[in-house]
Amino acid sequence: MARFLIRSLVSTIITMLLVSLALFFLLEAGSRDVTVRILGVFSTPEQRASLSLQLGLDQPAIVRYGNWLIGNDWRVQRKIGYPLEAIKNEKTEEREWWANVNGQLTRWKLEEGVLIALLRQSDGSAIEQQAETSWKTIDDQENGANKQVFWGVDTKNNAVKWVKGEGKEIYILTKAGMRKEGDGAQQYIPLTKGLLRGDAGLSLQTGRPVMVTLLPRIRNTVVLAGVAFLVVVPIALLLGILAGVNEGRFLDRFISITSLGLTATPEFVTGVFLILIFGIWLKWFPAVSVFLRPDAIFSDPKIMVLPVLTLTAVELGYIVRMTRTSMVTVMQSTYIRTAIIKGLPYRRVVFRHALRNALMAPITVIMLHVNWLIGGVVVVETIFGFPGLGKYIYESAIFGDFNAIEAAAMITVLIAVVTRLVGDFAYTLLNPRIRYS
Amino acid sequence: MESQQNIKKKNYSLRLERISQSLRLIFSSKIAIIGLSMFVFWVVLGIVSIFWTPYEPNATQFAQNLTPNATNWLGTDHLGRDILSRLMTGTQVILLKTRLPGIGVIPGGVALWGVFGSLLLGTVLGLNAGYRGGWTDQVIMQFLDALIAFPVIVLYLVVISALGRGDLVVILAITVTGAPGVARLARSLALDIRTRDYIRAAETRGESPWYIMFKEILPNVSSPLLVDGMLRVGYAIFAIGTLGFLGIGLPPPDPDWGNMVNEARRNIFSNQLAVIWPALSISTLVIGLNLFADGLNEEINRFQK
Amino acid sequence: MKKTIITKAQMGKVHPLIPEYYEQFTAGKLSRREFLRGATLLGLSATLAACAAPATQVAATAVGASDAAASGGIVRGGTLRNAMQLQLLDHPARLSWIEGANVVRQVGEYLTETGVDNITRPYLLEKWVASDDLLTWTLYLRKDVTFNNGDSMNADDVVFSFGEWLNPDIGSSMLGLLSYLNGPEDVEKVDDYTVRLHLNSPNIAVPEHLFHYPAIILHRDFEGDFVKQPIGTGAFTLEEYSEGERAVLKRREDYWRMGEDGQPLPYLDEIIIVSIDKDAAVAAMQSNQVDTMYIPRPSDWLAMKDNPELVVRPAQTSQCYTVRMRVDIEPWNDVRVRNALKMCQDREKILQLAYFGEGDLSIDAHIAPVAPSFCEKPIPAYDPQGAKALLAEAGYPNGLKVVLSTKNDEAEPEIAQALKELAAPAGFDIELDITDSGGYWDRWTEVPLGITAWAHRPLAVMLLSLAYTADSDGNPVSWNETRWVDDEFSTLLRKAEKTLDLEERRGLMCQLEQIMQDRGPIGNSFWKRVWNITNKKFQNVKSHPSSYDLFYEVWKSEA
Repeated sequence: MARFLIRSLVSTIITMLLVSLALFFLLEAGSRDVTVRILGVFSTPEQRASLSLQLGLDQPAIVRYGNWLIGNDWRVQRKIGYPLEAIKNEKTEEREWWANVNGQLTRWKLEEGVLIALLRQSDGSAIEQQAETSWKTIDDQENGANKQVFWGVDTKNNAVKWVKGEGKEIYILTKAGMRKEGDGAQQYIPLTKGLLRGDAGLSLQTGRPVMVTLLPRIRNTVVLAGVAFLVVVPIALLLGILAGVNEGRFLDRFISITSLGLTATPEFVTGVFLILIFGIWLKWFPAVSVFLRPDAIFSDPKIMVLPVLTLTAVELGYIVRMTRTSMVTVMQSTYIRTAIIKGLPYRRVVFRHALRNALMAPITVIMLHVNWLIGGVVVVETIFGFPGLGKYIYESAIFGDFNAIEAAAMITVLIAVVTRLVGDFAYTLLNPRIRYS
Repeated sequence: MESQQNIKKKNYSLRLERISQSLRLIFSSKIAIIGLSMFVFWVVLGIVSIFWTPYEPNATQFAQNLTPNATNWLGTDHLGRDILSRLMTGTQVILLKTRLPGIGVIPGGVALWGVFGSLLLGTVLGLNAGYRGGWTDQVIMQFLDALIAFPVIVLYLVVISALGRGDLVVILAITVTGAPGVARLARSLALDIRTRDYIRAAETRGESPWYIMFKEILPNVSSPLLVDGMLRVGYAIFAIGTLGFLGIGLPPPDPDWGNMVNEARRNIFSNQLAVIWPALSISTLVIGLNLFADGLNEEINRFQK
Repeated sequence: MKKTIITKAQMGKVHPLIPEYYEQFTAGKLSRREFLRGATLLGLSATLAACAAPATQVAATAVGASDAAASGGIVRGGTLRNAMQLQLLDHPARLSWIEGANVVRQVGEYLTETGVDNITRPYLLEKWVASDDLLTWTLYLRKDVTFNNGDSMNADDVVFSFGEWLNPDIGSSMLGLLSYLNGPEDVEKVDDYTVRLHLNSPNIAVPEHLFHYPAIILHRDFEGDFVKQPIGTGAFTLEEYSEGERAVLKRREDYWRMGEDGQPLPYLDEIIIVSIDKDAAVAAMQSNQVDTMYIPRPSDWLAMKDNPELVVRPAQTSQCYTVRMRVDIEPWNDVRVRNALKMCQDREKILQLAYFGEGDLSIDAHIAPVAPSFCEKPIPAYDPQGAKALLAEAGYPNGLKVVLSTKNDEAEPEIAQALKELAAPAGFDIELDITDSGGYWDRWTEVPLGITAWAHRPLAVMLLSLAYTADSDGNPVSWNETRWVDDEFSTLLRKAEKTLDLEERRGLMCQLEQIMQDRGPIGNSFWKRVWNITNKKFQNVKSHPSSYDLFYEVWKSEA
């Protein structure tokens, strides 16, 4: 048993790693040249190269994958020589990176060849003064001359390498276009804590950290999907059993045809008509999910009624059909027939013997089905304006907001994988006969 | 020599028998017939639309948001286009043609090619995993687990945001999302069959694994795979509809049912029918394929008993 | 209202031209709007000008009348719920979308205000005075304005704000508008409450420019992110701003303007803006989950116009969808090809399809009928045969395949579809490339052929210099999406910008419109109407032609 559990766990972790690799490199390949996306097709090659340098894109992809997943501050602070700290802005939760120089949080900038230190004050502002830290001399192998370099943190959350007397001409991206400026650094490493440590980077769409938006949305979606799940499963199992027990009769036909019809009706059609009928014509429920407060999902749960109904309509049919088939198979099995022939009361046969065996298959399928449910959630959230994970992924995909897609997709996969794992465990507990191969 | 020819002949007649058997299977199930006719209805409508539609599907030549009438049997949409003509044309991209940039139009719709792709990829992976077992099985299953972990729509969204829109991208997305399911099915079937005597015999003859997988195992697992494929065409149509609704499906100018729902949705307050028609089209086509597959399944089960 | 009578002599003291305007107005040569515009422009305060010109137009008084009726039973308190997409917001000067400005304008304010009647009045200013040659503008600030952090507003804040607008690094669209200022050095602080602008070329549109939506007056210590530092002089404070989610604005107690009941504005306690898309917003409006929404689309208008719970307030605008062609890219560098496409517009049909007829037909010039000094011209007919001939003449006898790019959040897809069909007989094979709005705004200046939605500008000259001119080096200005620069056009435009006499300016406008029609880079089928649709509980709601949300004087009846 323990061995089986450990194996599942290890397999899950490998799965997540594979998924993260696939995601990162798929989007990496898909985004083609990010700098063209940002700067437009009419930018010059020098401008693109400069931006590419500033985004740290000169590092190999595998290094950037590592940065994205587990961050790089722990690696980079060795270069700088001081511990790095990320301070969150209270209003926007953006991370500001500072080097902790003997207790004083410091960043640097180069102005006309002079290194200036910015010292962070307790109120969040910074005072400027000429930097005390000095340039380090290193051997430049190529030119055979000594160079003076300085690794520091700049004001844009990069670890940068300045070389004395070699302020590089760089193009700064402003909203009005690219502006040329001296005093640039030779190398930029955008600092990040990495996805696993809760830093998914900045969203292109909002200009704020992905995580700020993502966390409440995960909560909303988990609540929505959870409620839908709790509504769907009992109803579907009940209907499936009813249909299975009455195989071939009117009730069975009725339930089967209705559930097939529901399954074959796209959720976007169900949703649109539920809004029209119950939200606008009858005014029984709020038509869409307007979150006037961040916690509206708890303070005003009525906004979930129609989204849950829509999800129910789509998910119901599948589980009903599954349960029905399973029930039919069990009812036809020899031991149930024997029991009936032996003269045991029909009800007792159904409830004592058939149900337990018939439910085994659907329950496993239902746990696997969670990721199908998440798929439905994307559409439902989009229709109802429900601020959840699904809508977030959709909007990010439309916008091409790579950091956001990567983080959000990783979370959905994680949810799917974890529920499957839980399903596996539950199944082994429910069914002691399982062999751990 | 003679005996070989005999075997060939026997094989041939066996095949014929198999075909007639499957036909009998189809026609012995009422459900399968109903399903098949719903599917055929749309295929015929689609073929007709290549040569003739009541009106030019993209022409804005009528009043907007008309209810069904003698001229426009199903009414018009928000731009004054004939809905019937658009529905008919909408079948083409799903079932009858695929537009490839630079190459042109090839026969076979996006849904069919996508499912074909997932059958192909899934079968290769599944048979290998099931027949070879051991490490191959482990690696393939681990890989498939990762693919399955993606919620389908999320995978679509990721693929489309990485690769852009286009018929080929949709086909690719359907292939990738469908393959794990096919592979699991093919694997379990192969696991069952590889212990049979005739496989042993082939192995002793020294046949290559690929020969065994595709000449010995595949013919014996093809019917459940084909039934599964039928269901998958239904899923694929559903998915194309969903992508169309989200505005990221098949590219214009050909009408796309999902996109028709999306556009009509803005005007649903004044014209509900324009939403219902394309929705019904998706549903009937999907239900048809489902019934067909269901009926076949039932009959196969009964036949095997 | 107490009737104030001012004499011509009094007017003359303010500016010698005003009595002359007054005569033209009484003689019927100028409309009331044009007189008010002219008089306030020259420094007569808006209320005085209005007294001098008793309302003669019903349209102009309608707003005032309903206000007066409404002021009887003003109720304070309540929350207004607004549905509007919230995107990235950092520096107000950098705003390039009105939704963001609609959030910021509740917290910050402008020096002037262009009202719903398209007349610009002083706002944070007591008055402005322009020299006769229009080269020197003196801005007199109000002395009773305070920021929500307690500081009182003075010339430092205004000079700082000008500095931000004129700083090329900030990338404000104000930079293009204020091209008559060489830089911050042309903004002179005279004393604590007086600022003087030294223009390098005369311009009459300075007051309107000061109400351009990025021109929020910033606090002198502003560091560049409004969400982190929501300091402004406005009537609300920004409690929460989450992109893509919601913004919450709360009433401020010590706002400088007083309401009708003698207490400080605003009447409302709270504004909540929820970021949902328009499809969801329309449903939310009808199920009473939100009270108003940002720019209802024509289909939304159709859905809601007969709803008894909602009040629809239309406004004529100078907003339009230009089919714009990059004149530096083939085939649009050939004027014959451009004109051929223009001739393919069946304007009435496009208006009907895209906007249910709710707009005014236009010629292919970017000068709207609501602008003062507009010159009326006959609407060109749909002429596919003529277009075909013109295409053949330009070297495309067998037609021509082009890609038309646009966005899908307003009426553009309908226009694109209609144009595709209408232009087919002329030989244009138009491929549509329709993306979501972000996808289009990312490249709106770059695509060869596109449909761009242009916002409202009170004066035609503002827009023309923004989009159809070159900078001093001869390069097209940054918002010149078509790269179209025409010497004669530019010269006439410069002349119009410094012409005070309205009739004379109208003459120049006639020529400008004709040039754009004959060889300009855009097709323009109609001027759209905007609708403000708001729940009937809310009183004193104004429908601004720029879709600006003016909520300070809105109040919610208890019913």
